[in-house]
Amino acid sequence: MPARLRSAGPAILILPGFLLVAGLFVWPVAQLVATSFGDKAGALVHYSKIFTETTYLRVVSRTLLLSAQTALLCVLLGYPLAYQLNRAGRIGKALILVCILIPFWTNLLVRTYGWIILLNPQGVINGLLRQVGLIEGSLPLVYNSTGVLVGMTQIMLPYMVLPLAAVMSRLDPAVMRAARSLGASPLAAFLKVYVPLTLPGVLGGSLLVFMLSLGFFVVPAILGGPRDLLLAQLIEFNINQTLNWPFAAALSTVLLVATVTLYWIGDRFFGLGRLWGAR
Amino acid sequence: MSSTRIRTTRLLHGASRRDLLKLSAAAIATVAAPSVLRAQAGEIVFASWGGSWEAAMREAWFKPFTQKTGIGVRTVSGNAYGRIQAMVEAGKTEWDVVEVLPDFQWIGAEKKLLEPIDFNLVDKTPIMAGADLVTPYSVPQVLFSRLIAYNKKLSPAPKSFADIFDTKKFPGKRAFYSKANGAFLEAALLADGVAPSALYPLDIERALKKLSTIRDDILFYETNAQAEQFVTDGQAVIGLIPDGRALSAQKNGAPIEIAYDLSFLTWSAMVVPKGAPRAKQAMEFLAYTLTPDAQAAIAKAYTYGPVVPKAFDMIPAERAAILSGGPQMKNAVIMGEKWWGANLAAATEKVNAWKLS
Repeated sequence: MPARLRSAGPAILILPGFLLVAGLFVWPVAQLVATSFGDKAGALVHYSKIFTETTYLRVVSRTLLLSAQTALLCVLLGYPLAYQLNRAGRIGKALILVCILIPFWTNLLVRTYGWIILLNPQGVINGLLRQVGLIEGSLPLVYNSTGVLVGMTQIMLPYMVLPLAAVMSRLDPAVMRAARSLGASPLAAFLKVYVPLTLPGVLGGSLLVFMLSLGFFVVPAILGGPRDLLLAQLIEFNINQTLNWPFAAALSTVLLVATVTLYWIGDRFFGLGRLWGAR
Repeated sequence: MSSTRIRTTRLLHGASRRDLLKLSAAAIATVAAPSVLRAQAGEIVFASWGGSWEAAMREAWFKPFTQKTGIGVRTVSGNAYGRIQAMVEAGKTEWDVVEVLPDFQWIGAEKKLLEPIDFNLVDKTPIMAGADLVTPYSVPQVLFSRLIAYNKKLSPAPKSFADIFDTKKFPGKRAFYSKANGAFLEAALLADGVAPSALYPLDIERALKKLSTIRDDILFYETNAQAEQFVTDGQAVIGLIPDGRALSAQKNGAPIEIAYDLSFLTWSAMVVPKGAPRAKQAMEFLAYTLTPDAQAAIAKAYTYGPVVPKAFDMIPAERAAILSGGPQMKNAVIMGEKWWGANLAAATEKVNAWKLS
């Protein structure tokens, strides 16, 4: 083998992956974006529709809002969980990991329908609450935003806990000991040292959850109500029912731009890439 | 960490580079040459909704058709409209027959995705008259309906569409299909006093105004399985759902009654995508499915009605009494599917705006 080729060895190893990504992802995405502009009625007709008509503005803002709420809930639930995961002994750690990973590996549809059994008016939770006499009728837990939030948070929680636990495990325990030895109470040390040092993990995990939530389809469709119409559902409708592909492409491009922008912000300011070892 | 690295390196050295190249070449060839996955000559590819419906078609239609003509029928699932457009635009149509909902008869034709039906081979004269069941690009497959089913343990029997909108006399949730063409707009207009013959073009504003009166009592379903579940477990006391699902709920022991007088009759259609490789054999298949024999056979195998009225002569009376198009449905309103084909997108925008408001 010629020396030049040999030194290019590692680069060649990347080549198949690169070609795969370029051919199966970058090129189709470029075509998708091109489709969204290519309408006889004008290049921007679909975008102006999305950003001027109340219906579409509402869909976009609901998608953003639900994703943000999911991210927030994931932080509130995920932070203590990741903290415990990091502190627990071998058995405790294994137990927590199993509790996180088994649902993670369970089919999305199964979990979503499982929530219906728990949350519906005749469901397990309402039944229990009625039995202990806390309520008389039933709480509206599903077919509304509550149902969507519950379902999405459960599905997204591992994406928050795992990176967060990784950040926490990299934190030098000596820092906390130093804070304590300098006179900080446990609470003060936690709030003034631990939390700020793990903040990049919180922000990174939140951005990850937020971005993944933007494209959710099954959960809002099944657990949501009429007002929980999200971007992904509109895209599906325009692709498969009315065959209005340019409009679907424009909606997809909006999603894509939002995601890429967020990733860029996350990477630039909070070192999102470090969470999965990109740098 | 370091041990994994050593293991990977060893693995790479273990297999010779040539083996790896061969392997990847083979992998690329498999991906690039879907011809190995294509149908044999003399076998048409039918894209279907799958499941028990496909199994019924296999017995009632595919097997006898193959026996008669020697043409096999292979099925693929995932008959989404988007995939037809993708295939036709890529110039690589792999399907010969696709079963679709009727709106696609016009949407698909308008987008130039369909082969015209060869009516020299396909005899359309026995097909049920009126209501655009036959178009130049499609033939009907079977009749089905969206009808009012109610949980008799939880609700008295609704007698009219006005009852569906009366939540005082009939308290509880109503299950409607989440897509605009699920007949709930029609139901609202009928409840508001519009005559069945004057339904189309739909006065969507008026329908939505009527729907607003029961807004908080509507449960929208996304899939037909969900529809069946809603009325079965009582989450909805009344549902405007496909007849097949109402019958299946009944069969499974749910306390469901069907109000046949409150039905919307519609149908499924079969189309041949543009550039279908075996279009001629596909036409022969369509011709076969529209014979009274074949229509009676499928109506006995599955709870859909025949699109050829003569087939009812071969169907036992008690079977006919539950099928779409049977005597119990003489008051059914036929869905204006042609109107829907032209107005689905616009109507959906209005319905979505209403849902989000």
